Amino acid sequence: MIAAMVAACAEQSYAETTIADVVAGAHVSRTTFYREFADKRACFDAAVAAAIAELSEAAKAELDAERAPAAQVRAATAAMLELMARRPQLAQLLVGEAVAVEPATVDRHREILLPSVAAIWREAGADGATHCDPVTAFGRVQLLIFERVAAGEAERLPELLPEVVYLATGPFAGHEAAIAEARACAEDAATATAVAVATAGAQR
Amino acid sequence: MSEAGGRLPRGRHGLSRETVVSSQRGRLQAAAVEVIAARGFDVATVADVLEVAGVGRETFYELFDDKRDCMLAAHAELVDELEACLREAYLGEAPWPHRVRHSVAAALGFFSARPPAARFMLIELFAIGPPARERFHEGYNRFVALFEEGLDAETRAGAGPVQAAKLAVGAVAARTYEEVLVGRAAELPRLTDELTYELVVPFLGEDAAREAASS
Repeated sequence: MIAAMVAACAEQSYAETTIADVVAGAHVSRTTFYREFADKRACFDAAVAAAIAELSEAAKAELDAERAPAAQVRAATAAMLELMARRPQLAQLLVGEAVAVEPATVDRHREILLPSVAAIWREAGADGATHCDPVTAFGRVQLLIFERVAAGEAERLPELLPEVVYLATGPFAGHEAAIAEARACAEDAATATAVAVATAGAQR
Repeated sequence: MSEAGGRLPRGRHGLSRETVVSSQRGRLQAAAVEVIAARGFDVATVADVLEVAGVGRETFYELFDDKRDCMLAAHAELVDELEACLREAYLGEAPWPHRVRHSVAAALGFFSARPPAARFMLIELFAIGPPARERFHEGYNRFVALFEEGLDAETRAGAGPVQAAKLAVGAVAARTYEEVLVGRAAELPRLTDELTYELVVPFLGEDAAREAASS
């Protein structure tokens, strides 16, 4: 039912989605729906919570205290962008519908994500001071992702890696570190593309 | 867009039909902005819009398909106005960091002068579902293109391969959204320094950004 809610919200909007859409999409009865959820909003909130959990898991799987903080932030960011690229409906739900329905639901996402990013930098010996507001940086990341999803180009979300890494680094390690990390991501991506092109050329 | 109060004289006035329709359209759109910002897209009705605009239902449906259509028309016009306002502030001979500061001040001034328009453009738009996504994407990229247009090659090179124009537009939109959401649109101009810094820093570094912010 959560999957059906996610799909319905991506196709239309939360406001237009009905419980009938959800039960039809999930092939369950209305009785089953009401056994799990009090109403449409409860089902939506559960879908948002599940999406946040899924993204957090994908990011956490990349964390490894042995690695440099920049490498961890980059790997975790890439994992989240790739997950959303594979599952555009998830991205639409989190950065689109959830924000439109009740912006506070997104605060939970931020409250899970920001402390873990801050902790990565802190453990690495960053002074703990914030260079710019991480809450604003989070909002900016959401907006960048939303713009791609709104354009119907969620599959290209991984291309935003340099920009998102910039925003995830700046508040904690300052502009110089942020721009250096973002450049490194962009250059690696360019190398990867060049290698792919060369490989494709060689195969021909 | 004209204010909802700009009504034409009643009775015989010798105005062309075109003038009358254009005035009615403007009033309806202005009323839609006001009513939707105050009550929310879902709750606001066409009747509310008609009452504020002082225009008849028949005229409304001659001009628009429905509430959403009227909202989209009003939104398009506001985006055009904002773009014209930023174009004026941003493109010119002054050094780039100054122009950035002027444009940030102009954008924040635009929204702070009209809190209902700010709420309408940044929050209520998304209540209409998928058509809002396309609108947002289009609008966003118009401002990215404008930001790029005013960048010289040397400044552009400072940000390297990072899409800093996208970051710039996103910074203003995200920060403005946060403030409008909590009803602080009128206080937006106090963010001018902070946002100028954020926009300049990817291109010119921290020292130049601090200088631009305090100029």
